[in-house]
Amino acid sequence: SPAMSRAPGPPDGGWGWVVVFGAFISIGFAYAFPKGIAIFFKEIQDFFGTSYSEIAWVSSIMLATTYGAGPISSILVNRYGSRPVVIFGGLLCGIGMVSAAFCTSILQLYICAGFITGFGLALNLQPSVIIIGKYFLKRRPIANGLAMAGSPVMLCTLAPLNQFLFDNFGWRGSFLILGAILLNCCVAGALFRPIGASTASVKTQVTEEGKGALKEEVTKDAVEMSSPMDVPIETKMQEEGGKDCCEKINQYLDFSLFKHRGFLIYLIGNVLMFLGFFAPIVFLAPYAKHIGIDEYSAAFLLSILAIVDMIARPTTGIIANSKWVRPRIQYFFSFSIAFNGACHLLCPLASGYMGLVIYSIFFGLAFGMVCAMLFETLMDLVGAARFTSAVGLVTIAECCTILLGPPIGGTLIDTFGDYKYMFIKCGAVMVLAGTFLFIMNYYNYRVLAKEEKERKAKEEDPKSVRTANEGRNNWNKETIQDGPELEPLREEQEGLKKEVNGT
Amino acid sequence: EKNITLDRATGIELSCRLDNKYSHLKSLQVTWKKGNETIRYINKTESSWSIQLRILDNSMLGSYSCTLKGKEEIGAMFHLQVPKIEGREKPIVSYEGDTAVMMCKSFGYTPIAWTWYKTNGSEQIAINDSLLADKYVINRISANVTHLKILKLTKEDDGVYWCEAAFELGKSKGKLKLKVLSLMVPLKPFLAIVAEVVILVTIVFLYEMYSKKKEKCAEDEKEFDQIEQL
Repeated sequence: SPAMSRAPGPPDGGWGWVVVFGAFISIGFAYAFPKGIAIFFKEIQDFFGTSYSEIAWVSSIMLATTYGAGPISSILVNRYGSRPVVIFGGLLCGIGMVSAAFCTSILQLYICAGFITGFGLALNLQPSVIIIGKYFLKRRPIANGLAMAGSPVMLCTLAPLNQFLFDNFGWRGSFLILGAILLNCCVAGALFRPIGASTASVKTQVTEEGKGALKEEVTKDAVEMSSPMDVPIETKMQEEGGKDCCEKINQYLDFSLFKHRGFLIYLIGNVLMFLGFFAPIVFLAPYAKHIGIDEYSAAFLLSILAIVDMIARPTTGIIANSKWVRPRIQYFFSFSIAFNGACHLLCPLASGYMGLVIYSIFFGLAFGMVCAMLFETLMDLVGAARFTSAVGLVTIAECCTILLGPPIGGTLIDTFGDYKYMFIKCGAVMVLAGTFLFIMNYYNYRVLAKEEKERKAKEEDPKSVRTANEGRNNWNKETIQDGPELEPLREEQEGLKKEVNGT
Repeated sequence: EKNITLDRATGIELSCRLDNKYSHLKSLQVTWKKGNETIRYINKTESSWSIQLRILDNSMLGSYSCTLKGKEEIGAMFHLQVPKIEGREKPIVSYEGDTAVMMCKSFGYTPIAWTWYKTNGSEQIAINDSLLADKYVINRISANVTHLKILKLTKEDDGVYWCEAAFELGKSKGKLKLKVLSLMVPLKPFLAIVAEVVILVTIVFLYEMYSKKKEKCAEDEKEFDQIEQL
């Protein structure tokens, strides 16, 4: 019988594009929603009689929870797969906003709109990014770029929508309706068909998603070729062999990532970068007003930024997918961070409205480039299997610097009375982060190339795990590696796959 | 034309100065008027004419004009006014049973007192918050800001409200609109969107079950063929 003994590679298309659309919606809400509700703050501030900063905490709590709950999101995805987590996240967001509509105190607002909705958005963001890694490999940068484009598109949609809702329904009615709109994340989640296309690593970590994937329903991309009985026998023995406590924890959240060189490089570089990432956006409009530009033109700068961002993200995805860039995608990422920093450093030199327009265009471009590759580079470094845990660990580390960035910028502005120090600080931090990542990744690539040579020199072991260490020559053999003797099997299976699709 | 805002009794000097390009005009007669009334005491210098006024009460506010009559007639206008109060153009939307907070702000000038009025038909009725303490609460949040809090809203509270700031030289009003909606109003779009979500999720899952069945049929057929071949 033509039973196959391992799952095929990611489909790189087909239903994957539907998944990208779902991720587009999900990621869009997760990033755009905390910024979008700022329109309601003035009214809520008057209603509860508090100061503006007390209201702004709602956004901060929402953002902090979205990033801080990352590890929990990772654990749940490791255990249950992306789909149930996103559906549950959508429900949670809806419940959070609906209950926020009936709040009678600012504290209740912090809990309902801030914490519960933020947690729901966290359960949306991580699984969406994770499932792209499961559905795509060859075209993954494009898929990532397209999905991340959801953020500026949603922001541009939410801003006028929120204004419309507010004018017609007041803030309470708007929160109620926004709760319903957030339920659309459940629709996005429903589109995340489970797919068993990840590694079943054999050594100590049996990744839960590997096990889970085999138990999950088969997808239309002929993954059903591997029936449950064809679980690599080594895996089964590993399970029966009993695991110690560390391995059990590692099942849920892969802490061994902290020994992974690429992961550590990414973590340090990104945590540093986020210190200067968001502050310029927060202060762009106030800076424009400060140098004498009227309110509407200042708001238009942000629109320019969003539109350029929207176009930059998929374009960056396409560029990053090209055969010249993909093996060196880490360099491209470091370059975009440094480019971003350079924009900020040059901003104080911009004079007048035209100068700021040019700054906004370049800033939008750089911002889009960095965001499009944010998760792609992490996937590239750690591989799709460990990405689930990696993304959780990275987001909780970034959470601190993301929250610190704008207040530090604000303090600089208040202390010196001049915006240029904030821009210099952001620019310097990002150029530093970009340079750090560039140098460290150069070193990493060389070490990986050396390891690859050593590995090739030894005899091929079909049971060895190769989580994706991207060497220059290896980028197209990332996830499931069974060694060359199973190549003929793979071809046969491809042939059968074509046949099935043909009927 | 120039607008001058005054909130308290003060002395003020208004002067009209002839621009250099008109200095060729001879035999000029300068008149200062308030409305139609001519003002007598004009200070004249080489190319400017000014009047000094002591603004003591509301009647002295208004429009003052200087007119220079020669071959052509040129003039300028000064509008002396009390500070403007900003209300809100867009209506404040609130719900039955909820509380509404309406705010009026005076920019730069501190009023002596604030009064709130509700428009009932064609007349304006002052809101007495000590009389109806469980319905209206008027708070002076800061020197330039006043809040009117209306508790336990009903449909009758819907309408136009005025906040009036009293200055030494007069009063100034700001207009606000309150809309009171019932909870059913946002509930309809809410339920519509929830229904849309449920329908879409059901469609997605049904489609998935359908395509899985198709796969299974195809697979069974294929296995059958292969068994036959064997």
